[in-house]
Amino acid sequence: MSGAAAMPGLSKAAGAFTITPHKLSICILIQVYAPPSQTSVPFPFSSVAQHNLLGSFLLSLTKSSEDIFEPKLDELVSQLKEIGGVLNHWLSDHLARKLSSLASPDDLFNFFNDLRGILGGSDSNVMDDDQIILDPSSNLGVFVRRCLLAFNLLSFEAVCHLLTNVATYCKESLSTYELSHFDDSDSDTEAPMHYENMDLENLVVEKVNKEIESRYVVDDRFSFHNHAPKALVRADEDRDFSPGPQVRKINKPREVSACASSSCDVSDSVDSPSGDFLRTNWQIQGYLLEQADTIERQGSSFPLNAFESVLKDLLKLAPELHRVHFLRYLNSLYHQDYHTALENIHRYFDYSAGAEGCDFVSSSSTGCNSFGRYEIALLCLGMMHFHFGHPDQALEVLTEAVRVSQQQNNDSCLAYTLAAICKLLSEFGVSNMRGLIGSSYSPVTSIGTALSTQQLLYVLLRRSLKRAESLKLKRLVASNHLAMAKFDLTQVQRPLLSFGPKASMKLATFPSNVCKELRLSSHLINEYVDEASLMIPDGAFCTQWIKNLKKPKGSVIFSQENECRNNTDAFQFCGQPCSIPGSVLQLLGSSYLFRATAWEFYGSSPLARMNALLYATCFADSSSLDDLALAYGKLIQYLAVFKGYKEAFAALKLAEGKFLSLSKSQIQLVKLQLLHDHALHTGNLKLAQQLCDELGVLASSVAGVDIEIKVEASLRHARILIAANQFSQAAAVARSLFCMCYKFSLQVENATVLLLFAEIHKRSGNAVLGIPYALASLSFCKSFNLDLLKASATLTLAELWLSLGSSHAKRALDLIHGAFPVLLGHGGLELRARAFITEAKCYLADSNFSVSEEPEMVLEPLRQASEDLELLEYHKLAAEAFYLMAIVFDKLGQLDHREEAACSFRKHVTAS
Amino acid sequence: MGIKENCRNELRAAVRQLSDRCLYSASKWAAEQLVGIEQDPAKYTPSHTRFQRGSSSIRRRFRTATEAAFTSTPAAGVSHVTTPSVPEDDNEAIDNDFYLLAKSYFDCQEYRRATHVLRDQTGKKAVFLRCYSLYLAGERRKEEEMIELEGPLGKSDVVNHELVSIERELSGLRKNGSIDSFGLYLYGLVLKQKGSDNLARTVLVESVNSYPWNWSAWSELQSLCTTAETLDSLNLNNHWMKDFFLAYAYQELRMHTESLVKYENLQGTFSFSNYIQAQIAKAQYSRREFEQVEVIFEELLRNDPYRIEDMDMYSNVLYAKECFSALSYLAHRVFLTDKYRPESCCIIGNYYSLKGQHEKSVMYFRRALKLNKKYLSAWTLMGHEYVEMKNTPAAVDAYRRAVDINPCDYRAWYGLGQAYEMMGMPFYALHYFKKSVFLHPSDSRLWIAMAQCYETEQLHMLEEAIKCYRRAANCNDREAIALHQLAKLHAELGRSEEAAFYYKKDLEIMEAEEREGPNLVEALMFLARYYKAQKRFEDAEVYCTRLLDYSGPEKETAKSLLRGIRYEMDVEHPPP
Repeated sequence: MSGAAAMPGLSKAAGAFTITPHKLSICILIQVYAPPSQTSVPFPFSSVAQHNLLGSFLLSLTKSSEDIFEPKLDELVSQLKEIGGVLNHWLSDHLARKLSSLASPDDLFNFFNDLRGILGGSDSNVMDDDQIILDPSSNLGVFVRRCLLAFNLLSFEAVCHLLTNVATYCKESLSTYELSHFDDSDSDTEAPMHYENMDLENLVVEKVNKEIESRYVVDDRFSFHNHAPKALVRADEDRDFSPGPQVRKINKPREVSACASSSCDVSDSVDSPSGDFLRTNWQIQGYLLEQADTIERQGSSFPLNAFESVLKDLLKLAPELHRVHFLRYLNSLYHQDYHTALENIHRYFDYSAGAEGCDFVSSSSTGCNSFGRYEIALLCLGMMHFHFGHPDQALEVLTEAVRVSQQQNNDSCLAYTLAAICKLLSEFGVSNMRGLIGSSYSPVTSIGTALSTQQLLYVLLRRSLKRAESLKLKRLVASNHLAMAKFDLTQVQRPLLSFGPKASMKLATFPSNVCKELRLSSHLINEYVDEASLMIPDGAFCTQWIKNLKKPKGSVIFSQENECRNNTDAFQFCGQPCSIPGSVLQLLGSSYLFRATAWEFYGSSPLARMNALLYATCFADSSSLDDLALAYGKLIQYLAVFKGYKEAFAALKLAEGKFLSLSKSQIQLVKLQLLHDHALHTGNLKLAQQLCDELGVLASSVAGVDIEIKVEASLRHARILIAANQFSQAAAVARSLFCMCYKFSLQVENATVLLLFAEIHKRSGNAVLGIPYALASLSFCKSFNLDLLKASATLTLAELWLSLGSSHAKRALDLIHGAFPVLLGHGGLELRARAFITEAKCYLADSNFSVSEEPEMVLEPLRQASEDLELLEYHKLAAEAFYLMAIVFDKLGQLDHREEAACSFRKHVTAS
Repeated sequence: MGIKENCRNELRAAVRQLSDRCLYSASKWAAEQLVGIEQDPAKYTPSHTRFQRGSSSIRRRFRTATEAAFTSTPAAGVSHVTTPSVPEDDNEAIDNDFYLLAKSYFDCQEYRRATHVLRDQTGKKAVFLRCYSLYLAGERRKEEEMIELEGPLGKSDVVNHELVSIERELSGLRKNGSIDSFGLYLYGLVLKQKGSDNLARTVLVESVNSYPWNWSAWSELQSLCTTAETLDSLNLNNHWMKDFFLAYAYQELRMHTESLVKYENLQGTFSFSNYIQAQIAKAQYSRREFEQVEVIFEELLRNDPYRIEDMDMYSNVLYAKECFSALSYLAHRVFLTDKYRPESCCIIGNYYSLKGQHEKSVMYFRRALKLNKKYLSAWTLMGHEYVEMKNTPAAVDAYRRAVDINPCDYRAWYGLGQAYEMMGMPFYALHYFKKSVFLHPSDSRLWIAMAQCYETEQLHMLEEAIKCYRRAANCNDREAIALHQLAKLHAELGRSEEAAFYYKKDLEIMEAEEREGPNLVEALMFLARYYKAQKRFEDAEVYCTRLLDYSGPEKETAKSLLRGIRYEMDVEHPPP
């Protein structure tokens, strides 16, 4: 932006330490603390301890004076009260009197003149122990000096404004605080009344107060990096007003000098990165960044309207602070408001040209060209379309982003864009690239139009990874490794060359590759063990840099003190500076979530469960609510599969309470799945169909979006049809499902669909037709290392063989026994029960086997099966088990037991 | 003459009443309309009517048949209700004295003093003036503070601190019914500033219904009618002032035809009103009838040489027509009249822009914006300048500000689109073109711009481009770009039938307008080939022969084509 008029916000940025009434109050207190008198314990104080107490309180006040929210006078007064005794009464009286005596500009001038007197000279090395002189380079001294300097810079108009603000500041507290005995005859002269409500801070505090009220209801854990709102919240809640943590801490008597020097170090180390920047702007930016983080994590449960109104107010107050638009965009994005999101993202980038924010200065790789960085706009827009499930637009925009980043030599943006395209390709079913991207220029298609989407994805992943590595974008490298792992998990690498000599390639996935990628991804955390590497600005990806930015922290003292008190609330608002950035934790967490999924695929239920549990416990704070819901969903499903529905539903209820506010939630999906399974097992097909339809509605109507849900809905539909003995229709559904999976190259799902075919044929009595499908499914499972599914396919195969006649019983039994380790170790209740029943059936069908000789060989598995099935309430299969049991008992001549089994059989038959 | 006489009397009273209450711009407006009524030639000397004569002759020259129909039946349909004029409140002499003092203070812009003088007065007039001067004092303070507080965070949202107290007083008065229409106007103004638009609308409607001659109230009401629905929902009494209002409101809602009809209707009574003429010019400008606009403005300037209002539009017309000297003359004139008017700065900016001195031009636009931050066209024009200077981020910023001031400004949306297209982001630009096209779907240039965006090498979405060109061709595309492009695109996509259709249409238009050029040759060439391929040799021959008139490679191609045609004709119909 060329002109100053258009961007006054940036031009007037420097020297933004402004005097506010609150700072004035602090100055008054400092004056009390260090009067230019010579006694060791000045007038109002009765002991050194009391004096020191005020000193450390003031220290913490000056530390927090840089916060975005300044406390009102009555809050300050109530904080003062915590210092205890008769003294605070005197102090607050003094403060109020002093403030209300400021009636004309000249009073202010005189006050600051007096204030200068309490500073010691530069040659203060000759210090008398008894004398209280504020060292100009001490913490309080610096504060006073800054105030003096800021006051001296004020124009007369600004002094008038300050005066008005002070009057407002006092007046606000009048309602709560008795000032009747003060001489306030000339405290509100006529003129200051015109400037009512002028003070930005006061306004913001009011607004934030409102916001906090609303947010407090939603999320108890929510915190700020300063203490003032906390106090507000407490006041609002009308709880017993316990002293703030900072004040309690002060009770420890400490040497003032020691305190000052030690905190000086802290402040030096803390203030140095942000000291040169404009403060107020910085503070608001910090606030916004934090909000952005929260929105991204909480998703749709973030209070939309409350925050929106805060943003609107902020926008009115600071029209040049364009990031507000970005926050509005984020807010509407996560509340699925497409039009508002679109409007705001365009508005944000129109104003900021992608150049707003502190990263702009720091990134020297691209250099600040006059062009602006609109490629970031494209990247964000692409991600927005991705979020809303518009693959076509997203791809189009991202392609443009690639092109513009190339033109502008913005390598990091290019790397991020490539990663985004990879994510898009892997998430959405894109069957035909050429139809999608119209341009021949497109870098995506230029790689080679002969490649399939999956091959293209592979190439892009590799490129993106390489680029990210060379640019040292650590987070991007980690997330690229994750994407690579996902690719390795679900896709077979095919030779990229369509001609020429082909290396012999095994068409299979390699679990070791997945493992390797996951490990590499987790290496990221090592980068952050060393705290020195914390501040490295990283690329230009907006959400990333927003998270990355170091937050202003005025309350470092408090937080450190709170840490040792092990206050959980306090831990949250200090967490950022000393721990690993949230985004890194999030990435790390998602690698665990991914591990759980991978083990689900590979068929190790304990490992899958463990990883999900690990995620839910360790990464709950840093992860987004959506991811957390996913982990919870997984855990609930494990419960259902291994422990039956009763426990699963109980857990679901808990989870539903936790994720109540998420609109399109994973939990909703899990609930439908569970209910559907339950309905299917208990034989309530109508309900099952209804639930299945509801499940299908959750998916977007756009082709290729939400494929997983669509596949699942079809699968469930086919299962219902099988249960209703409508085999030809089931086969039709399965066929269309197979076509879809083939089109979007969902290989893993294909294995399931093939197994479904085998099942259909088995149930319809065409065992001969079923066997090839089962075998095909088996080979799919083998090449994708899907062990559990393979075991299940083996079981189906055994069932098929068995239904061909008793002559094949031996073969079936062998198959089952081969699959037993996996089935019993990792299979769910249903799978185990089926295996047991089939085993028993094999024995019974085997002509060489005699029941009377070895009854337990049959009875034991049947008993197991019936137990499992009763847990599962799977009536149809349970009836079968009991039927078989009754037959065996009949053969054995145990009539009592037979009757018992028959009774159970009847119960289940009538129930189903 | 009854209607005219009525209007005249009403306006005369209104001017007095309004200026008595210091509502000067409203009284100015009323006075202008008063003079705008055609004088009775019997009563006035020829010297008075001369200048009116001249203007009407110009006007008649441009009057179309429909307009004539309207004016010949002056406002017959509506029976206008004349509201009884507000009786002057006869206070005691002392009160009146205070009022006089307050008014003098007010006239000297000492608003607070005026408020103070009237502090204990209870007469309606006094109460109004007290509140009004307090309001203005607050406004002035607000503007000062805006500059004082221009800190790091901008904080331009300074509020008028008097609003609360004024609102309190006026709402109390309204409740007990002792508020007059002027008080209602002020109340509406205050409510509007406080953001309670609905109540403001109701109050303003009350105000104009009880006293229709306060144009300020009408224009406040207009600014609250952002959609046609709200406009229709207003419960307004019939009065000739309502026609002024409706015409204005229609114009702001971009219903230019309706607006024009209203204005031409009003011209029957107010045949010499400069205001109406300027408004008609505005409507014609939106319809891009530059010739007419220019004539109207020339006329206006002749009658009212020191006029600055609306002259920025005139400068835009002169800019579009590239009249260097006329523009410089205009710029000089407004500069001498009042150089610190935003319009003046804008005109000078336009002049420099036309001269190609974009830096200077930006400087003047900036000055205009400093004088009026919400000056929409200056933001847009400045955006254009930045585009010329290839400073796209600045252009985008300027355009965006225009759009945020008025989201219906299709020019700024168009500019945004253009800027992004310049930066090689056609897909991103489409969003903006869509916006501008949505707002002004009858402008072929917007459609063409959007089509070109689709057509770019990067996007290459030809089907969409064709759709846009088709829309452009349907809305009076003067340069006939759309037809040519349609033909070309269809040819590119191998749809020769459609291509031939459009080439033919294009050719017809070019013939009608007697335009020559490469497009003509291209059309001829395509048609010749097309008809040859269709075996319509006679037609093909006609086009080939026409091609022979041109020099260059086309001539040779035409010759060989002709030979081929002859040959094929011979093969099909061998000569006997």
